[in-house]
Amino acid sequence: MLFAALRDMQWRKRRLIIAVVSTALIFGMTLVMTGLANGFGVEARNTVDSLGVDTFVVKDGAAGPFLGSTPFPDVDLAKIAASPGVVAAAPLGCVGTIMKDGSSTRNVTAFGAPERGPGMPHVSEGRVPSTPDEAAASSTLGRHIGDTLQIGAHTLRVVGIVPNSTALAKIPNIFLTTQGLQQVAYNGQPMVTSIGVVGKPRQLPGGYQTYDRAGAVKDLVRPLKVAVTSITIVAVLLWVVAALIVGSVVYLSALERVRDFAVFKAIGTRSRSIMAGLALQALIVALLAALLGILLAQLLGPLFPMIVAIPGGAYVLLPAVAVAIGLLASLAGLRRVVAVDPALAFGGP
Amino acid sequence: MGDLSIQNLVVEYSSGGYALRPINGLNLDVTAGSLVILLGPSGCGKTTLLSCLGGILRPKSGAIKFDEVDVTSLEGGALANYRRDKVGIIFQAFNLVPSLTALENVMVPMCEAGMSRRAARKRAEELLDRVNLGERMKHRPGDLSGGQQQRVAVARAIALDPPLILADEPTAHLDFIQVEEVLRLIRELADGGRVVVVATHDARMLPMADRVVEMTPDFTETTKPPETVEVKAGEVLFEQCTMGDLIYVVSKGEFELVHELSVGGEELVKVAGPGDYFGEIGVLFHMPRAATARARTDATVVGYTAPVFRERLGAGGVRDLIEHRKLATE
Repeated sequence: MLFAALRDMQWRKRRLIIAVVSTALIFGMTLVMTGLANGFGVEARNTVDSLGVDTFVVKDGAAGPFLGSTPFPDVDLAKIAASPGVVAAAPLGCVGTIMKDGSSTRNVTAFGAPERGPGMPHVSEGRVPSTPDEAAASSTLGRHIGDTLQIGAHTLRVVGIVPNSTALAKIPNIFLTTQGLQQVAYNGQPMVTSIGVVGKPRQLPGGYQTYDRAGAVKDLVRPLKVAVTSITIVAVLLWVVAALIVGSVVYLSALERVRDFAVFKAIGTRSRSIMAGLALQALIVALLAALLGILLAQLLGPLFPMIVAIPGGAYVLLPAVAVAIGLLASLAGLRRVVAVDPALAFGGP
Repeated sequence: MGDLSIQNLVVEYSSGGYALRPINGLNLDVTAGSLVILLGPSGCGKTTLLSCLGGILRPKSGAIKFDEVDVTSLEGGALANYRRDKVGIIFQAFNLVPSLTALENVMVPMCEAGMSRRAARKRAEELLDRVNLGERMKHRPGDLSGGQQQRVAVARAIALDPPLILADEPTAHLDFIQVEEVLRLIRELADGGRVVVVATHDARMLPMADRVVEMTPDFTETTKPPETVEVKAGEVLFEQCTMGDLIYVVSKGEFELVHELSVGGEELVKVAGPGDYFGEIGVLFHMPRAATARARTDATVVGYTAPVFRERLGAGGVRDLIEHRKLATE
């Protein structure tokens, strides 16, 4: 009976195309939303990775090395550097701040690290900052080497460009020397938000704890948790809409074919054969929509002003979830099939 | 191929909450190789009987045996197998699947029976050739005439070579040119030892039948003299859904006329006292009684045949009868 289901799809191909395109749009949007939610993490991970630090040492009780950190004096830097398992250690700072951008202002995330690291990213142009009034700026800031950045009363000269370095949903990063950050954020006090370590310290002075890169990434995306949750909710709602579209199409198809089903039953076709045909229709709609949705996501993603990083697993998961949605969505239609009375086949047209 | 036996078949269903029995105690035995025509007007139970024979409708009581199989006792998969393997149905409205070609429509029962697509296609081509549609196999039903569609339906019905063929008003939507071919085909179906049951209201089909079953008893209007009937309190004069040929006028006592409900119980329609009459519509129009008449008290009624009752009413009698005007005092 599967061939009858396929023929029916050919027969109603216009509706099939509308259903597939509509569902594909939803699937595409779902992938983009998933990419957006994932993008925040990818963006933060890129920033953390670019620092070249394996372990961040912070004060006990601090929620992370960046935004969740409690600034502390770097008095134990030497002890930590001398701890077993530590290859290198450096005082790091991080603060969210605002720079002047012509007549308006713009959020930036400022990182402070020694010129030779660890904690200072590679630059694609120019050089890393070496004095407190120098900075390396993200290429997304649109500044060039030799330009200046005004942060509060401090004027920083751009000496290097870091490619696409952003955090917290496309907010550009700037990189200063540790001393430069201390001047911008702590009025010159020798305070840090973490001590960046290359290696893994096996023993620390009392009153300190560590975060690895994953912990640092979590700290950096913490302010976006509500946004990520909202986007995830929208993505889930989109899945529901997709299920409703596939379900509606299959259900309407079942309603229109009640007489066909009655005839099938009257001539001895088992209900499960008819149901298999209907489920096949739902699967085909869902799978075609998933494939088209993947293509659409590739086209839609770049249109967003934020990082859309669709995880590879999502491409594999989408068809699988689409199949599940298709089957779930066809339940109403399948129930209709069971209820069809073959006696309907008798009588006039 | 087997014989068909129907014993004391009663089919009851609900219509507007009332219990209707379009078939009430039908008995019929048909030997293999026979073409039976069920003749009667709309609503007399022809299609209902076909549905029961096809295992589509379950009767209230009675038995249908075909080829030693008790059809009324089949359930689930066994019932589906019976429909598929033992029965071929030709519908009044052809009922071909519009998205499938003629060839694919014929293939449906064979694919469902587990035949390979290749074998099903080969057999379907042979069948369509047999019904002279070899040139139109790839056409969809919408591109075929009514007669051609019905021939495809015949090919589909015999795809699995079932021993029982049911045809419901097979010529209802065909012109006389198309009818000829379809009638010839249906007649040929019975020649191979099959039982072919055709439901129709068209008496012109009768010559092709081996046996005719009139679903509505043939009432010859008689002019027998009025008969007086005495009924004890609580006794039933006639039952709903039964046929009768007398219109009753109450001479003494009271009768209650009640509808039997499909969920059980009764609904009082009216109480008839001396001078009232009832049971006229069923008798006039040769339809089953629409209600049950039961004596509330010891009562006496006089039963009149329709011609005698009309005579009693005088000029304009039938109109007065339909409108249930009061009788003039004798």
